[in-house]
Amino acid sequence: MDTSGTTTVDPGASAVETIRRDSAAGRLTLLSSLLEAAPADSPRAPDPLREIEESGAEDLKRMDGRVEAYFFSELAMTRSYAAYLFRLAEKDLVGLVVETVREDSRVYPRPTPLDFFRASPFGLSPEQVEDILSRIRERGDCGDIRESRASNGARYLYSTRYLTVAHADALTEWNEVGQAENP
Amino acid sequence: MAQTFGWTGKILRVDLTNGKVSIDDTMKYKDFIGGEGIGYKILWDEVPAGTHPYDPENKLIFGAGPLCGSGVPCSGRTTIVSLLPTSSHHGAGSSHMGGYFSVEMKYAGWDAIVLEGKAPKPVWIRIEDDKVKIEDARWLWGKGIFDTMAMIDSQMGKEAQVAAIGPAGENQLNMAVIRTGTSHSAGGHGGILGAKNVKAVAVKGTGSVKVAADRSKLMELDKYMMSIIGANNQMVVPSSPQPWAEFSDKGSRWTGRPGLYWGAANPPVETGTCDPHDMQSVGFRTMKAVFDLGAGAEKYTVRMGGCAHCPIRCHSQLKVPQLEKYGMDPFVSNTCVGWSGPRGVMYNGIKEFDGNGEDSSIVGNAIGTTMVDDLGVWCNYGQIGRDVKYLYTKGIFKKVLPAEEYASIPWDKLEKGDATFLIDFYDRVAHKKGEIWHIADGSAWFAQRWGLGDEYWDYKDNKLWTRGGYPVHHSNEAGAQVGALISCLTNRDSQNHSHMNFIGSKLPIAIQKEIAGEIFGSPDALDAPMDYTKMNEYKARFIKYAVVRGRLHDSLTLCNWMWPMAVSPLKERKYRGDTSLESQFFSAVTGVAKTEAELDKDAERVVTLLRALTVRSMGTVDMRNTHDAMNKWIYTPDKKDGKEIAQFTKGTIQMEKSDLDLGLGMVYKQFGWDEKTGAPTKAALEAVGLKDVAEELGAKGLLPA
Repeated sequence: MDTSGTTTVDPGASAVETIRRDSAAGRLTLLSSLLEAAPADSPRAPDPLREIEESGAEDLKRMDGRVEAYFFSELAMTRSYAAYLFRLAEKDLVGLVVETVREDSRVYPRPTPLDFFRASPFGLSPEQVEDILSRIRERGDCGDIRESRASNGARYLYSTRYLTVAHADALTEWNEVGQAENP
Repeated sequence: MAQTFGWTGKILRVDLTNGKVSIDDTMKYKDFIGGEGIGYKILWDEVPAGTHPYDPENKLIFGAGPLCGSGVPCSGRTTIVSLLPTSSHHGAGSSHMGGYFSVEMKYAGWDAIVLEGKAPKPVWIRIEDDKVKIEDARWLWGKGIFDTMAMIDSQMGKEAQVAAIGPAGENQLNMAVIRTGTSHSAGGHGGILGAKNVKAVAVKGTGSVKVAADRSKLMELDKYMMSIIGANNQMVVPSSPQPWAEFSDKGSRWTGRPGLYWGAANPPVETGTCDPHDMQSVGFRTMKAVFDLGAGAEKYTVRMGGCAHCPIRCHSQLKVPQLEKYGMDPFVSNTCVGWSGPRGVMYNGIKEFDGNGEDSSIVGNAIGTTMVDDLGVWCNYGQIGRDVKYLYTKGIFKKVLPAEEYASIPWDKLEKGDATFLIDFYDRVAHKKGEIWHIADGSAWFAQRWGLGDEYWDYKDNKLWTRGGYPVHHSNEAGAQVGALISCLTNRDSQNHSHMNFIGSKLPIAIQKEIAGEIFGSPDALDAPMDYTKMNEYKARFIKYAVVRGRLHDSLTLCNWMWPMAVSPLKERKYRGDTSLESQFFSAVTGVAKTEAELDKDAERVVTLLRALTVRSMGTVDMRNTHDAMNKWIYTPDKKDGKEIAQFTKGTIQMEKSDLDLGLGMVYKQFGWDEKTGAPTKAALEAVGLKDVAEELGAKGLLPA
């Protein structure tokens, strides 16, 4: 699945259609791509933002990055998945890892396996993951992010805001080893 | 016989001693639903207390329920009921097969097949609709299950469904299976068929199951059910992030995703996105090969298989060419403990062996599964592996096996992770060679034979639940007291997934607690994982629900590895499922209108009858201190750095004895049983329509004071 966030705008499609189509394909839609000049005879509205607003389509959501703005349709993409793509597109890899770990620790609750970030839609290399961990350790506002390790060597992260050390260690072992022993 | 819907109305009885075949009226047993319920009623009425499982007086019942064969999703299970040879008191119990056997049995016109007595020589039973023949099995006896099935199919045709035993069953090994299809094993009752000289039961039917409701009504229900269903074990979130999914969890069995293939299919088949609104992709959700065997299994996967009338394909069907090196068929199939149980004997893991390189683990798994599936050995839900580890590493094998036998066993292979050890090991066990095979007597019996005491039972890593001889199966690790106390109420591993299909859904805890509150009266029925709280009333309700639904599914017969549907994958339903689906299907199929509560009450009758059978076979009302008494490791605090970790602190799942004792009483109360002893009272028995049972127990002095 192409999750790069870049879209090929179909000049014949409306902005609303484009966003829904991209979301169904697992991609965010960039505002810049919608703003690309359309041929004069295109049925597309000249101002995609106005078109989106006037459409009243409640499924369309906007996320503003540092420079770019991104759209997705909740008909085909959840907010949580869109948030992953947003941080990837913004190259906010530390934020991606830290916020994912905090959310997992708070919501499920569970620690997050490092190999989670290796798979789709993240596709980070081991070196990238290690680099992110180093940067997390260096930052002053990520002191709650800790690492746990299962007996099979698998590494996990958790947030001490929501999980104690003992709880995180036990959940790590359960998720990685115990669960497989109790199928 | 009157027209029936759902039920065929007929039970086949085969008296093996005199070769007599007779027909019984299913509707005599309708209060016990079908399947397991009918089986227990027949055991209660016809098999006296004190009967040994291998005595001709014991009976074995292949049972199907009214929903089996009707097209209801996940309704292809066969429930086999008899006394359990592994049980310390030879208690009654059920074993279960998936596959197509029970559906074919219904199509042949039978709700159940009751095997009675003992054939004078090896036989197999041929059933083609209402034609029943007891055939000579001299050419089958001694053969593995694969060859047995092939030989029977050569006579009856491939459409015949065969349930057979291997050498383990013939040799009356306590831990033997009855198997159907390529990979569907019912553990624990194989030796009984062997004792009756029955190699196989084969059935072919040309009829159908009559449904009371208009077909459009049933289709409507099916579609509704298909919108609620998740993946295997009713896990309702995918294992990796996907655009449609709000949640994901690495441990989910919903493994289907873009980029993951049935790699050995020609051409390879992509499991794909599996959006829950797409009914056509339900069968791709559970790519169990990679879940059970690791990512390396993808390229060996031909497809996912499963049971009749089940959209969830949970059996991995692999082609492992390396098996030919060991004289085995390269095609191998199984699921869950069907893979992990046999290979569990390799306690030190499977390392690189025999030139199999990085795929050694998959080859080793396939060797183990092929061996036990052909020989018909049961792993006692994985216990055989833990027992090998304990007996070998603690030096007990060295002590109890004759020196010559001990020296002949290739322990070096076991230690270095060479899975060809499994070939040697299971051959010895199935053919009862030497002394080591007694490991398959089951824990309760070899513990006596080899003089193992408290240390064995109380050793945490052995995971033995009670001295009845069975291990954990979604016990304290699954919802604290909920799983723990469920595990006390059967005569074998509880095989109960009614709680797991909810707790293990992989939804966030807040959503699960909300749903728990709606079903059981309070969110406190459910604890967050590894953050356990003390026993309460709502957990007791949860336990009753799980136990009752377990018996219900095994009686209807529905797959308790999928049902009940307390949750769903649908955000628009706020992830709610529908626990009334069983009663809706029951009413539609049978034409007997039942509410959810009424059907649960019928299942409670089956629960109580099993309890009465246990009281009768143990000869005591004191269930609490005998049958239900849990081994010490369950409530012994863990230690870290020499210090005890207090129970009910985050991170420990160890239970507390006084809390479990309290919990037992609360569970007994839920069923109306005596809170002191755990035995059904006269009033409780009468409340579920078991007046005759109460009278017999009363006459034997087995009703609580």
